Amino acid sequence: MEPHDENKEGIGGMINPRRYGIERVAYLLMRLSGLGLLAYFIGHIYETSSILKGQVGWNEFLALTQTNEGHAVLAIVIAMCVFHTVNGIRVMLGHGGVGVGKPARPDYPYEPASQNARHKIGIYSAIVLAAIAMMYGLAVMFGE
Amino acid sequence: MRESTIMKIHYGTALAAVALVAVHVLMRLTQSFAESLEYGNVIANYQFLPYAGMLEIILILLSIHGFNGLRVILLELKQGKTYEKAVSYGCLAGMIGLIAYGSRTIIMVNMGMI
Repeated sequence: MEPHDENKEGIGGMINPRRYGIERVAYLLMRLSGLGLLAYFIGHIYETSSILKGQVGWNEFLALTQTNEGHAVLAIVIAMCVFHTVNGIRVMLGHGGVGVGKPARPDYPYEPASQNARHKIGIYSAIVLAAIAMMYGLAVMFGE
Repeated sequence: MRESTIMKIHYGTALAAVALVAVHVLMRLTQSFAESLEYGNVIANYQFLPYAGMLEIILILLSIHGFNGLRVILLELKQGKTYEKAVSYGCLAGMIGLIAYGSRTIIMVNMGMI
């Protein structure tokens, strides 16, 4: 018998936010925000290295980022950062056994104890806080 | 290294980074956003040793957390001995490269080598 890969859906399956409720959406957003923040972090390290070119080099690079588009990107980064932080704390607490309910016999309709209201509130809170932080960031950046 | 140990490092770096990045962001808000990014201000930040030290720690924490996160995502997508080794060593190389590149900026500006 030939060995075969069970992961048939690949990236498509991984990024599909349907079927499993808000927890699956949080899973997807956590990965997207993580990748986005890593990309921003690498860009930020590259951007700040332009200070080695002196005042002219720094001002030239800063002019590229201090635009409406640059501010919009930064606002998205703020939202990703807040969501990733709040949802990450929820995940850490869950891994530590906090808020996942007590072990019990699986009875119909087999609702997982860990996917309870406390964790759902945590996910919705992360989304709301990210939106608020993004609005605040936009107010600071465009308010000047 | 055991995956459980790696995940403890992942969570530890996350919590430490949240605290330090909060300080880094608050430093931008001590004056107006545009003013805080002026060349003289940024140079002064880098040449203030405790702040430069904090930037270096943030750089290390976020590089470890970020590249380990990328490793986890890539390992969720596909498995296999060669693939897993390539991903792990690739992410380790990326992490070291980013820390080296960022440290170069911090050290050179802190020591006035510009």
